[in-house]
Amino acid sequence: MESFEEELRSALRRCEPSPDFAERVLARVSAAPVRRAQHPWVPWLAAIAAALLLTVGSLEYRHYRGERAKDQVLLAMRIAGSKLNKAQKKVQMVAHRSNS
Amino acid sequence: MRLAGLPIAMLLLAGAAPAQQVKWNFDKLAARASDTVDVSLSGSLLQFATKFLSDDDKDEAKVKKLVGSLKGIYVRSFEFKKPGEYSAADVDSFRAPLHSPDWQRVVGTHSTENGETVEVYIKSEGKGIGGLAIIASEPKELTLVNIVGSIDLDSLSELGGHFGIPEGLEVEKEKKK
Repeated sequence: MESFEEELRSALRRCEPSPDFAERVLARVSAAPVRRAQHPWVPWLAAIAAALLLTVGSLEYRHYRGERAKDQVLLAMRIAGSKLNKAQKKVQMVAHRSNS
Repeated sequence: MRLAGLPIAMLLLAGAAPAQQVKWNFDKLAARASDTVDVSLSGSLLQFATKFLSDDDKDEAKVKKLVGSLKGIYVRSFEFKKPGEYSAADVDSFRAPLHSPDWQRVVGTHSTENGETVEVYIKSEGKGIGGLAIIASEPKELTLVNIVGSIDLDSLSELGGHFGIPEGLEVEKEKKK
């Protein structure tokens, strides 16, 4: 049991890295090949696609808002017209009565 | 109902005042109504909407011509489940902003048969009409219309018969009490 503990202590004891450890790590990092996109035009294509999507989306939204506003105009004119129509009919009816 | 003998075109002579929306407070009614129609189109939105009105469609073309010079259209219609959901005081509160000298009641009709009342007010501005307001009440419905801006009577006349707008609106003037 004691020997096991000795082994464990030995295995886990603090061990200082060699003085050139940091240099070696940095050297290997700078030597490692940088991963680049396979095709340089991919980011451009993605940007163009995003811009296109944004343009189409905003145009669609503008069209939707316009159609909705148009429907509201037609509804408002319909309501205003029907009320005016009722008033006019009433006026005509009274005028007709007073004439006869 | 008291009607004098001037056609509506004669109403275009009153003084100028800047056209603006009538300030109505709908809060109380909106809470009691079972159904509500709310159309609120300010100048810029109205002009935007006219771009979507077709020139090929006869009706839409006429509406486009009529609303082209308008600065706003505001319609509120409330439907109630049963009569008596709104009071005469409610209607009076809508009349109040129209009691200014700028506004003139040109038509007031009432039917005892179905309890329907329609009042038409016009705001004169320069040589034309600067605004129109309608208060129409039925036992289970109350509708308020406010059209802001110069209303071309020729265009209105051309719209006769379309969307329920009467042909050549020759209503008569009632003097303001």
